[in-house]
Amino acid sequence: MEIHRYEKIWLAGALLLIVGFIATISYGAVGAGIEMVDDDGGQIEPNAISDHPKFSEPGTYKTGENEYDVYVVAYQFAFDPGTSDPIRVPANSEVTFHITSRDVVHGFEIVGTNANTMAIPGQVATITVEFGEPTEYGLLCHEYCGSAHHAMEGSIQVVPQSQWNESMVVN
Amino acid sequence: MAAEPESEEMPTSAGEGAGDGASIPDTESIDDEGYVIGSGRAGVVRQIDHDDFDPIGTLVLIAIYMAIVGAMWIFMYFVEFLGGDLTVIG
Repeated sequence: MEIHRYEKIWLAGALLLIVGFIATISYGAVGAGIEMVDDDGGQIEPNAISDHPKFSEPGTYKTGENEYDVYVVAYQFAFDPGTSDPIRVPANSEVTFHITSRDVVHGFEIVGTNANTMAIPGQVATITVEFGEPTEYGLLCHEYCGSAHHAMEGSIQVVPQSQWNESMVVN
Repeated sequence: MAAEPESEEMPTSAGEGAGDGASIPDTESIDDEGYVIGSGRAGVVRQIDHDDFDPIGTLVLIAIYMAIVGAMWIFMYFVEFLGGDLTVIG
């Protein structure tokens, strides 16, 4: 088969793009250390969340030096904590969010950032992020979950280390 | 008037440059009735070699498209995504 010389050029260009896309994703996973959300969080009985040692009292738990776990229950149409009370985490800390839902599929998105996951009933999603300077982030549901989905939002307060106190921790 | 051949072939031999195969009007198909669909002149054929086809405009368009895609890819992944706040690391 005879291939026109121009066609060879754009075939090579298209192949270069594909190789480039794959190389970019590989770099993100290996070089930049970006993780995918997987099923490591395990499963939970959505009707028995109140029996869970942590989800029964959701909030911020200290797990180590500058390391915290935040347990969040999503439901129609709020985050607990997050909506009535903001999620509070100290500045310059590494925080692992554990998120589940007790009714339908919700989303958990820290607005304007790369941190987001689905909140699936029966499944715990875990994402670890590093917070820097004190600030406040918005929180919203980005999976359609019902008639008041558009009103399902909350906030995360990144509290300065100097103002952080143990009363902000659940345990 | 000499009879027109059914097709006028203009092979591109060494003596004739590529792409200068000027079409010769077929006087038989020229009339005053205007263009009738399907009535295109059949009496003119211009043959060129495979590599004499030179769609430089298509090549330039595809080069522009690829440049746009490449620039957007660099910007969206390395600037917007990797430069974004709160990336999932675990």
